[in-house]
Amino acid sequence: MTAVIETSGLSKRYRRVTALSDCTISVPEGRISALVGPNGAGKTTLLRLLTGLAAPTAGRAVVLGGTPRQDPAYLAEIGFLAQDIPLYRRLTAQEHVGIGAHLNPRWDGESVRARLGGLKIPLDRPVGTLSGGQRAQVALALTLAKRPRLLLLDEPLAALDPLARRNFLATLAEAATVRGDGEAGGGLTIMLSSHLIADIERVCDHLILLAASRLQLCGDVEKVLAEHRILVGPRKDTTAIARTHAIIREDTTPRQTTLLIRGSGPVIDPAWAVEEPNLEEIVLGYMSQDDPVRRAGPEAARLSAVGGDQ
Amino acid sequence: MTWVTWRQYRYQGALAAALFAALAVVLLISGLHAAQVWQSALAGCMKGNACGNLSLGSSAFTTLIVATSAVPLLPGLFWGAPALAHELETGTIQFAWTQSVTRRHWLAVRTGWLLLAAAVIAGAVSALVTWWSGPDNALLADAFQANRFDITDIVPAGYAIFAMALGVCAGALLRRTLPAMAVTLAGFVAMRALIAQWLRPHYMTPVTVYYKLTANVAGPTGSYLSVNQGVVGPNGAPPAAGLGNYTFNGSPVPAVCQKAIQNPAPCMTAHGYRAYLTYQPASRFWAFQGIETGIFVVLAAALLGVTFWVLRRRDA
Repeated sequence: MTAVIETSGLSKRYRRVTALSDCTISVPEGRISALVGPNGAGKTTLLRLLTGLAAPTAGRAVVLGGTPRQDPAYLAEIGFLAQDIPLYRRLTAQEHVGIGAHLNPRWDGESVRARLGGLKIPLDRPVGTLSGGQRAQVALALTLAKRPRLLLLDEPLAALDPLARRNFLATLAEAATVRGDGEAGGGLTIMLSSHLIADIERVCDHLILLAASRLQLCGDVEKVLAEHRILVGPRKDTTAIARTHAIIREDTTPRQTTLLIRGSGPVIDPAWAVEEPNLEEIVLGYMSQDDPVRRAGPEAARLSAVGGDQ
Repeated sequence: MTWVTWRQYRYQGALAAALFAALAVVLLISGLHAAQVWQSALAGCMKGNACGNLSLGSSAFTTLIVATSAVPLLPGLFWGAPALAHELETGTIQFAWTQSVTRRHWLAVRTGWLLLAAAVIAGAVSALVTWWSGPDNALLADAFQANRFDITDIVPAGYAIFAMALGVCAGALLRRTLPAMAVTLAGFVAMRALIAQWLRPHYMTPVTVYYKLTANVAGPTGSYLSVNQGVVGPNGAPPAAGLGNYTFNGSPVPAVCQKAIQNPAPCMTAHGYRAYLTYQPASRFWAFQGIETGIFVVLAAALLGVTFWVLRRRDA
């Protein structure tokens, strides 16, 4: 399967701050990829680098076979929904549809009307007067009307209540079954960043985890789940485990030790009770590491292989 | 893109048209009245050169006319400065620049229309003011004076293009609307004052005429731009300040004529002193209009160059 997004050593430095460091990921076609990580982890930066709105200071991204760039042909292939859902507040959804029709080669304005009509969102009111959830739906419908092959969504759920979130994700899941250029066959690739792991767990089948501006994890959700285990046992030395598995996080109380480990080899020591973690436990484990930067160093190259060998 | 620009600016465009219409009505009424007074004056008092107290209308209109010197600034201030800054500030630029058009195209079309709008607005107001000023200029011969030259004929369009480019550029650099507007205002006023005060009198080599200090002479004909005037001695230098710091026509009275301080003119003339006036003749009015407009258009082009360069290089 071909990779829609492929980056190597992608980095972005602002004057003093490193927003993204040495990020190497691969996202195969047709995936719905969850981009997760704490605030300031570099999620927005990564998305902006992939759209071409920002330029990397080092490394390289290949998106849909080319470098993200200021080029109508490239821009026509990607749909981007920026953080805080920026739309022209004084213009109506209908006027946004008009703008899109004038600026895009294969624009499907009818789909916006159908989608928003179905959700009973007025097309003729300034979008500034709509609720946050309605605005998000308008923005998503506009982004989909471009009929992109790659959809990049930056925290689209942040301002939404649980019901609006569910509607939004339903729209997204439905869109994912139709290929961007109109052909059937689940060819639309989606990457969305979010804090809400529980929400996106249901729709996403691929995971990219960033922390402290470094990549921690990139791969299919199934594989990520299969590769991690939680060990619970008496308080004891963990060096034996560390020889065969990567210890992502270690929680120690006076009586017991809880480990989140990564690696496919068996854990032989019967003192450990082995549990299957869910996605949220894995993500939280990585996000609460003592030193994600140190961990990401040797790990990043190895982890990227997980995504790369799909 | 043209359609998009129109959609986003149509309310502002309507507001500008309404304000222009209001101004036009006021100026038409007062201008027609002034023209009528002027026509009857031509038939009457001008023949006897006795129009000294002729009034062409209320001074409120003159104030309004002088106030139109702010018009070229307004499109740049209220449309130019927010054009990029507001989109960058609210993030809508990310919507605009991820449609299937390049930034360059987007910026070129938008600023192109804004520049045109600014030039048209300033040009239309200037046309009105130029028409209104006809009798006034003829009566007072002040077409070349700073607060008349600046608001008539083609220079206002040049100023408006400059203000628009300044606003757009400030918005691109500062990325926030209010600071961009402040910079546009300050930059426009500073550049206008600088060029009008220091540069304009020297666009062309001025003409100097000398007068006898004793004679009561008339100045150059028509509306000229005075550059400098004073008194010079036989060696071409102005007189050194004498004792007691007496002055005559704003110039020191040389020591040799201190005794004739009540009427130093004959003494100073006898010692080779004469009055001079350095000026730009009225015939250069259009050349000066062209040069000044050119300067502001070139400045605008430089600012737009910076804007394009900045937006190409910097992240959105």
